[in-house]
Amino acid sequence: MRAPLNPLRRTGRRDPTVPPRIFVLPALAVYALVVLYPSAAGVVYAFTDWTGVGSFSFVGLANFHTLLGDDRAVHSIGNTLLLTVAVVVAQNLVGLLLALGVHTGIRSRALLRVVFFAPAVVSPVMVAFLWKYVYNPDSGAGLNGVLGAVGLGGLRQDWLGDPSLTLWSVAAMVVWQYAGYSMVIFLAGLQDVPPELQEAARIDGAGTWQRFRYVTWPLLAPALTVNLMLSTIGGLKLFDQVYAATDGGPGTASETLSTVLYKEAFVYGKFGYSTAVALVLALFVAAVSLVQLHYLRAREVAA
Amino acid sequence: MSTGSRSLPGQGAVSRRGLLRAGGGLAAATALPAVLTACSGSGGGKVRLVGVADEQQPVTKLVAAYRRSRPGVGFSTSFAPTDQVQTVVRTQLAGGNAPDVHVLYPGSGSAMSMVELAKAGLLADLDDQAWTKTIPKSFDAAYRRDGKTYLYSAGSSVIGAVYNKRVFAEAGVRPPGTWSELLRVCATLKAKGTVPIALGAQTPWVTQLITYALVPNAVYAANPRFDDEMAAGKATFADSGWADALGKYQELQKRGFFNDHPDGTTYEQQTSMVATGKAAMAVQVSSVLANFRQAAASPDDLGMFLFPGGEDASKLWIPAGIVVGLGVSSRARNSAKGRQFVEFLGRQENLNAWAAAVSAIPFSRDSTTRLDPVLTPFLPVIDAGRAVPFMDQRWPNAEVQPAHFAAVQDLLAGRTDVKGALAQMDEAYGKTS
Repeated sequence: MRAPLNPLRRTGRRDPTVPPRIFVLPALAVYALVVLYPSAAGVVYAFTDWTGVGSFSFVGLANFHTLLGDDRAVHSIGNTLLLTVAVVVAQNLVGLLLALGVHTGIRSRALLRVVFFAPAVVSPVMVAFLWKYVYNPDSGAGLNGVLGAVGLGGLRQDWLGDPSLTLWSVAAMVVWQYAGYSMVIFLAGLQDVPPELQEAARIDGAGTWQRFRYVTWPLLAPALTVNLMLSTIGGLKLFDQVYAATDGGPGTASETLSTVLYKEAFVYGKFGYSTAVALVLALFVAAVSLVQLHYLRAREVAA
Repeated sequence: MSTGSRSLPGQGAVSRRGLLRAGGGLAAATALPAVLTACSGSGGGKVRLVGVADEQQPVTKLVAAYRRSRPGVGFSTSFAPTDQVQTVVRTQLAGGNAPDVHVLYPGSGSAMSMVELAKAGLLADLDDQAWTKTIPKSFDAAYRRDGKTYLYSAGSSVIGAVYNKRVFAEAGVRPPGTWSELLRVCATLKAKGTVPIALGAQTPWVTQLITYALVPNAVYAANPRFDDEMAAGKATFADSGWADALGKYQELQKRGFFNDHPDGTTYEQQTSMVATGKAAMAVQVSSVLANFRQAAASPDDLGMFLFPGGEDASKLWIPAGIVVGLGVSSRARNSAKGRQFVEFLGRQENLNAWAAAVSAIPFSRDSTTRLDPVLTPFLPVIDAGRAVPFMDQRWPNAEVQPAHFAAVQDLLAGRTDVKGALAQMDEAYGKTS
């Protein structure tokens, strides 16, 4: 959806309703000083053998060669991608369903929006600690206790201790926390769908599913773009919940690229190598995001 | 596998501070968690001290005692869990903004260990202080590097079985003295419906304790020079008594002597299980006894015995590791005041006080030393020279210990066997620090 052309632009006069760009400078200066500059300066360390303390030497591309042969890092990339796909799909699906649910005329919709959004404002580490109680492997506690109480005792699991389940348990925790966040963005999109289009479709005899599929869904494209972008970037960078809930375990079953780079820096004392991992992660996230943005924007225009 | 941290020949070293002047230093300032930033600003004339949570009780008590004798000296202290402190203090050290006195781990094998930081020239030499002369020679590897003392630590804690006396009495069993007896006691407890050994292996550091309890008998009893042989490349974990120790670890699991799902159980749950009598014992380090006692209905319900890794009760070997301590920064503003405080900590009565707070055994004892009674069975073994430092204190880099954690978790999950677990550890040991 293109913005309407500004007639004032052609006359060369500044639109008085648009604030001058210079106003952004103070915020940009602070951001550049505390984020952009240190990040850029930090890139230097990716080419050194710095341990985090003391002096260091430049080692060229050695850290990147090491990364290619580092089984743990490669394994963690697989985990990161699995986790990202699971989170992106489930978070947006649940978020969309919640948005559709609270976009109706039910009386409690305002309260429900707050309730569903609430987990998104809680610290991820706190959420991880909460869910450690939910995932207590004891048959009478947490989720296992609930399953037993409703006659589904056969579904009890060692949610965080079984290596084949850990990753999915963490994904569920993340989805629980951020589905409400996606819901809010979808809600904003739903409010942009003109009621007269829905009305016209209804008069033409379209059912609920057809109205959603051919009217609502195409017009939700901008909201979907934002949600997919945010959840993809969040998934690829996932650290707090994994670190607090499993520390990458059992073994290395839930290790993500972020937990690997954290451990390389702060546990193993290999800041140089860790910065190289961080650089690769940043470039990877940027590349995925750009491809995604290009595709989704094209889809928006088509819609 | 190379680690990418090797210097290329012929290239000069660059000073971190020099590079920081050129830029990037703000990253360190923005990386600090709020809990610790309070002490990272200008401390004026105050001694800035950053420690781990395990040290909070003794440090707080001894700072108060020190200030009574020297009211003019101010302190700014902060404590946080190990991983957070390690992250923050290393960042501060790198940024030239180190606390005057900070947490320091004995020996090597950790990113905040004495060897690692001394190597970088970040620690003050404490050799001119009287207490350093009383450190036993056998503790050199933990306290000293190149003959200079850099670590203050009150002494050693031991690893053994923390057990619930009430549960043992109800099952009609007594603390075992040999490995075979241990298996019989566990079988009896299991038959009575009690979990014999609580294991909270989801908490990484808990995974290592059973191995550490078994390795002294399996390795050092026959070969006290094992660490030196490892360092010289003449030994490996896979072809040593470590295989027996991990085999016994696995045997305990196969016999069903642990709680269900140890990989999903945390240290806090393990503590609660023993304290409430749901489980009979847990292999733990004596310095966490206070937590077990807090969780129990009565602290007297809990005792501790040597976890027997061998078949001769009179010749058992045990692990006794130097407890986490403090180092003085060589570059901080008030490091002279920090040194004076550490000198005060080195007095016998203060060694005793610190050791008592963490159920440890002071490295020097006299008639005023009062030990936690649960440590009594361990003293004859230590005095007979059958105690070995915690294994990681002699490991060459910070990767072996986490590799051990992961290997044990994989072993418990059935994703690897003893051979595979030890191969992971050997690979980590071979990496450059």
